Amino acid sequence: MKQAIELNINGDVHEILVATHHTLLEVLRDQLGLTGTKRGCDLGACGACTVLIEGEAYLSCLMLAVDAIGKQVVTIEGLSEAGDLHPLQSAFVDQGALQCGFCTPGMILTAKAILDEEKHPTEEVIKQKMAGNLCRCTGYKKVVEAVMRVAEESGQEV
Amino acid sequence: MRLPKFEYFEPKNIKEAGAILKNESSAKILAGGTDLLVNMKHRVECPAVIVNIKRIGELDYIRQDNGDIRIGALTPLKRLHMTALITENFAGLAEAAFAVGSYHHQVMGTLAGNICQQNRCMYFNQSKWWRSSRPTCYKAGGEICHVVNKKEICYSTYCGDMTPALLVLNAKISLTGIDGTREILIEELFSGDGKAPLSLKPDEILTEISIPPDANKGVASYIKFANRDSIDFPIVGTALWASIEKKEYRVAFTAVDRKPVRGQNVEAFLKGKKLDEKTIKAASALAAKEAKPLKTSVYSPSHKRRMMGQLLQSALNKVVRRSTQ
Repeated sequence: MKQAIELNINGDVHEILVATHHTLLEVLRDQLGLTGTKRGCDLGACGACTVLIEGEAYLSCLMLAVDAIGKQVVTIEGLSEAGDLHPLQSAFVDQGALQCGFCTPGMILTAKAILDEEKHPTEEVIKQKMAGNLCRCTGYKKVVEAVMRVAEESGQEV
Repeated sequence: MRLPKFEYFEPKNIKEAGAILKNESSAKILAGGTDLLVNMKHRVECPAVIVNIKRIGELDYIRQDNGDIRIGALTPLKRLHMTALITENFAGLAEAAFAVGSYHHQVMGTLAGNICQQNRCMYFNQSKWWRSSRPTCYKAGGEICHVVNKKEICYSTYCGDMTPALLVLNAKISLTGIDGTREILIEELFSGDGKAPLSLKPDEILTEISIPPDANKGVASYIKFANRDSIDFPIVGTALWASIEKKEYRVAFTAVDRKPVRGQNVEAFLKGKKLDEKTIKAASALAAKEAKPLKTSVYSPSHKRRMMGQLLQSALNKVVRRSTQ
């Protein structure tokens, strides 16, 4: 059954018709064309589909689109402001923390949620909380270094 | 991977949710979704009706009430390991919450959802394609249990992390239906039947978990052994609560049986004893006999039994260290 809903994605309100059994990931990618959110395992095991819901790291493949009604959703497309990369995005580029880039949106959004929760987490905390974001090419060392760099540099909100 | 179609409800309160559940026998409750939606994508659960209870606002809290700690059913797991009231008084519970899946699962997953998760089995938690190579198992709607090669029985394993940590605290749960609320000990929730692991009436919803006041008079610990630390279900999980002063101990295991089990023989053996090296070793040797795990995962039952002892030994050593701090 389809339902007309409003979703707040990256500050924009989208009025769309969605099937109740469609996940937020499906709606973001297939209906709204926001393909920065990646479909990896589609079973909640890889973290590639991570989006921010009210600032928290959610797996959009395990969330119904209708469940996002009334919530602020942020995808990787909504992170940069006025063409300037977000500090986490810049750090990933500078540190070479990506190779194919498939896992990167999920990695960056998870890192943002972690840093918004705790401004200066230890390396151990970053490793533990990002362990659900899998990478199959670069590895994790540079990713952790990039997040650590932002955590160390920023005194302000990231 | 598409979800199967279903009729969707968002009740505004528990009573409304209970009424829908009573009318629709195949309805399933959706909370965090990290267990149910995966099973639905695998087509091992295809409920005709989904009742999303997340819009019911009054189920997300941690509060103190006459010495009891009361936790709302929809409290995210993350909150349990980030709330001082829990981390300072019930370290074992916080450790269990931190051990669940990945950080994302802890953000999305709820305490009651974790308690009420489906049992797991290597013949059940697989894609439709994977399962198509053999007859559908009993739990997924067929006739046979491939674990024991018998008909109309299911030996799937309970793999929740939170339940053993709550079992050793003697936690109680509130079940709310359309006729009211009843409170039971958490162990009474589990039927021991792999096909229908929870003893819930059709209209009942787990609404609250309460921890009695005496639970913080001891030290607790939860140790999980998993394939990958980052995300996996336990191969074996062991929870321990110890009152070093009174020499009382409570032990529980997960992922070793069709339901979470209390280590009653270990508890009886340890009662009144001081935790020295010899006692810890002897107790750990008894642990393997507390459950009869079957081969429901890639890990052999004998490996699981050995790990029960190993984990208990580690947990006992940990509470000794913790109690002297």
